[in-house]
Amino acid sequence: MKKNLFLSLLMFATLTASAQERRELHILSANDMHAAIEQFPRLGYVADSLRALYPDLLILSGGDNRSGDPVNDMFEIPAYPMVALMNQVGFHATVVGNHEFDSNQYGLARLIDLSTFPTLCANMEPDPKFNMHVKPYQIFDCGGIRVGVLGVTALGSMGTPESHPARLTDIKFSDPLETIQKYQFLREKCDVVLLLSHLGYDDDVKFSAELPWVDIIVGGHSHTQLDGGELHNGILITQNSKSLKYATHSTLVLEDNKIVEKKAERIAVAGAGEVNKTLVALLNYFSENPAFKRVLAVAETPFVCNEELGCMVCDAYIAETGAELSYQNAGGVRIESHEAGDMTVGDVMKMDPFQNDAIELHVTGKELSEMLIACYDNDKQRFPYVGGMTCEITTNPADSKITKLIIFDKDGKKLNLKKTYKVVSNSYSVAVSPTKRGDEGHSLGITTPDMIKNYLEHQGRVSYEGRRCLKLITK
Amino acid sequence: MILKVNRKNIEVFEGALVRHALLSYFAWKGLDVSLVKNLTVYDRWGHEIDLDAPASQHEAIKFKLPKTI
Repeated sequence: MKKNLFLSLLMFATLTASAQERRELHILSANDMHAAIEQFPRLGYVADSLRALYPDLLILSGGDNRSGDPVNDMFEIPAYPMVALMNQVGFHATVVGNHEFDSNQYGLARLIDLSTFPTLCANMEPDPKFNMHVKPYQIFDCGGIRVGVLGVTALGSMGTPESHPARLTDIKFSDPLETIQKYQFLREKCDVVLLLSHLGYDDDVKFSAELPWVDIIVGGHSHTQLDGGELHNGILITQNSKSLKYATHSTLVLEDNKIVEKKAERIAVAGAGEVNKTLVALLNYFSENPAFKRVLAVAETPFVCNEELGCMVCDAYIAETGAELSYQNAGGVRIESHEAGDMTVGDVMKMDPFQNDAIELHVTGKELSEMLIACYDNDKQRFPYVGGMTCEITTNPADSKITKLIIFDKDGKKLNLKKTYKVVSNSYSVAVSPTKRGDEGHSLGITTPDMIKNYLEHQGRVSYEGRRCLKLITK
Repeated sequence: MILKVNRKNIEVFEGALVRHALLSYFAWKGLDVSLVKNLTVYDRWGHEIDLDAPASQHEAIKFKLPKTI
């Protein structure tokens, strides 16, 4: 009897000891959510479920939380709905993605202050005047496991994140890999070192060869859909495509404070299923966005046709960028008319719902002419609306192909085909105008609805009654 | 900026998305650009990526047409 009792106690002690030695770290991660606010009730439920099983669940974002839904991006405090939803889900940290700069340095600083979780990025150093509370890393205690989370963001060809240069001034950026290496001391301080990366999958894989002291890379930026995670050079790398179609549940098993197993599974977030009701209520609140009813300008006369609205859009491109000429695919102007009276944010969103970027190009009159014809051919044979010029287009009645195009400048003279002009259009129009030209153009880092919104606010009153920019001839 | 779409070099503007490279590819080929929204796109490793992925992150992409058009 005494012997049995002794053996039972010994077994219990052994089991307890092994339980203490074997520990698990659970991570729920998302990336490139791009304002997918409609997915948050489901994400909240997934997080709640995992937290019920693993109370020390660490919830992380691989950056680009915002920019993708006007309800979020045009809120009174731009992108605040995403911050509020992430607070409610219980995110522990996010890394700065290039789209986090979309409401400029001060906008980002404000969002960081409204977040209940830290914003991490080791390779950026904002000027103190922004009061931007970005940290390079944060150490979390997850049920006794010390997890060092180091944030890092991608730099484009200009040595800065891919955003409008004006939104990046007075922020210093440093080489990602060199910067990461400076934080090797985290290995000594922590049981697990996690790189929260907005570098993109290719760099995550490339860097993994240089970072033997890192255990896991929670990635973002390239929108790469992995089947859970992949091991590269012993480092577990995770990433999903955008808009919360999936999240990743990673598990790291530690024995005697050493990681003995790493695995990850993707969890479907999009689609039907159980939801967190608090997040549903919060989402409903944000969806009734009062910012959409804000009056931007007064239309002194009604817009009676699509072309008058198209002319206004093209004028907005010129006025807001200093371009000489502009064009906009006809199919991109989504309302046919507008009554005289108030023009609201909601009206702009209906007029231009696609969130295209504004693109600046420097092209000759001849190159522009070829682009306009290519745009016509690829936009269901609808000639684009133009600004700073008017066009006379002759088409063949048999196949509707353009047989002659004459472009007139704002003074009514024929456009100089050899002169180079600064032209602004939207990203769709430029993409469907793939001609041979000297300049492919570059994004201005501002969406066209934002540009139209700014134009209307700056104008205060507009009238486009009878305005036409195209003369169509069929013969 | 140049990236390969189904092995063809496509030049796109700085800041373009994968979607824009595909639109340009379709426009060059004289194909219906409205099909682009239905494509399934893969990176050079064979991972699925979405149309709004930054083009600068991908040297080469491939796409598949949906089974029913």
